[in-house]
Amino acid sequence: MKLKLNIWRQKNAKTDGKMTSYQLNHVEEDMSFLEMLDILNEDLILKGDDPVAFDHDCREGICGACSMTINGTPHGPEKETTTCQLHMRKFKDGQTINIEPFRAKAFPVIKDLVVDRNAFDRIMQKGGYISVRTGQAQDANNIPISKKNADLAMDAAACIGCGACVAACPNGAAMLFVSAKVNQFALLPQGQIERKERVIGMVNQMEAEGFGACTNHFECEAACPKSISVKFIAKLNTEYLKATLTKNSF
Amino acid sequence: MLSNFLKSTILSKILVAVTGLLLVLFIVGHTLGNLLVYLGPNAINTYALGLKKLGALLWVVRGGLIFAVLIHIIATIRLTLYNKTAKPINYTVTGYITSTFSSRTMAIAGLTILFFVIYHLLHFTLGVTNPEFMKLETNLHGENVHDVFTMMITGFRNPLVSGFYILAVSFLGLHLNHGVKSLFHTLGIAGPIFTPMIAKISTVFAIVICGALISIPISVMLRIVGGAI
Ligand code: HEM
Ligand code: FES
Repeated sequence: MKLKLNIWRQKNAKTDGKMTSYQLNHVEEDMSFLEMLDILNEDLILKGDDPVAFDHDCREGICGACSMTINGTPHGPEKETTTCQLHMRKFKDGQTINIEPFRAKAFPVIKDLVVDRNAFDRIMQKGGYISVRTGQAQDANNIPISKKNADLAMDAAACIGCGACVAACPNGAAMLFVSAKVNQFALLPQGQIERKERVIGMVNQMEAEGFGACTNHFECEAACPKSISVKFIAKLNTEYLKATLTKNSF
Repeated sequence: MLSNFLKSTILSKILVAVTGLLLVLFIVGHTLGNLLVYLGPNAINTYALGLKKLGALLWVVRGGLIFAVLIHIIATIRLTLYNKTAKPINYTVTGYITSTFSSRTMAIAGLTILFFVIYHLLHFTLGVTNPEFMKLETNLHGENVHDVFTMMITGFRNPLVSGFYILAVSFLGLHLNHGVKSLFHTLGIAGPIFTPMIAKISTVFAIVICGALISIPISVMLRIVGGAI
């Protein structure tokens, strides 16, 4: 296949970037999107140019590292698929593809397509954990948990923290990420002890990082490679309201 | 308490949803009331007189509405500006999937409604733009009362007034199309069956309200209603 790529090139966090065009003439349909970028980078290196910087790690759709927005959609056009698992057969011969970094104030660009997603880690530090001892594997089975809650908690825990929800949201909101992390614990007995501090801490950190507010566009759910449901955002709203109203200092 | 709510994005959203719900209920009542114009002068004039006779209660409702509108506006303007700063750069090509024209134009629609409501109050309620409207009187079962029917007919005979009304109500339709479903989600009512269902109900509701309100100036201009005036 032949492809025209328009890629965001930016030297570092301090300089301005711009879209730059590249032509690729020998792309195989079976390549993954990242392999296609590897080919481009080999060309660029041979020519003595700076290769396009992009994040990647597992290349098997589980780590959430591969962050880029393809034709306006984080992780590209394929539903429930990370960029590393996206294949070139999903594109047409001769197509123009725009590749940009995840966009949000809280995700500043470091270089080209690489953005700083440490804001997510700082949110996790405010409550994305439990501090009770949960024992050995068999101990987990000693605590009865309803099937409904167990399933819901697993659905929420499917979040790989890639940040596509933020990148897709017209408001740069991180509500889908935070709601998944909060609910995965709020639904289980082990998460009850820090339940209130968790939701307040994580939501307050989310705001301190400059993530936007939810206006229910639901673009996050559509972009999420793990299809985390927006119903967790609805649950987060009431979880946060209850926690603040029953907190002593309110 | 209120300032605590406004400091948090989630609590602000809950304020927007609760005040939005009150405004939705108001719009339903107001639309039903206005439709009485189709039943002739006596129907709508009796309704208007009934409202007036509520006396203190009417002012409690009005006060509550004004308070709700103020909170709705303050919270939404703050959230809209905040959200703009959270997404300073958008993509060169956008690839929206689930958001709609309605959902992306909430602030513009809201501001249009606000300007319209201010004009609407000056026009029909306070009599600032047309003081003669307040002097219109008619005889209702032997009692001299404010002639709301004639006021509506004369008001909507002006194509500029009707045009602005139709434009504003169209924006209200857009606002409700996203607003009704959005408010349930914000208040935590969501699920695999409920969420798609309320989205459809929201659209139907918006079309019905918008259609009913717009039909009034159109019927007046076509002389289907109040042809004799
Ligand atoms: C009769 C008048 C109005 C009604 C019935 C109404 C109704 C609503 C409803 C139901 C919502 C959804 C709440 C939620 O998302 O949880 C909403 C949101 C909103 N309203 Fe209004 N509203 C009215 C007037 C206004 C005015 C005058 C403004 C602006 C100055 C405004 C601006 C907004 C904005 C910006 C949002 C947030 C959008 C979002 O969350 O996506 N509205 N409104
Ligand atoms: S590189 Fe790990 S999910 Fe794509």
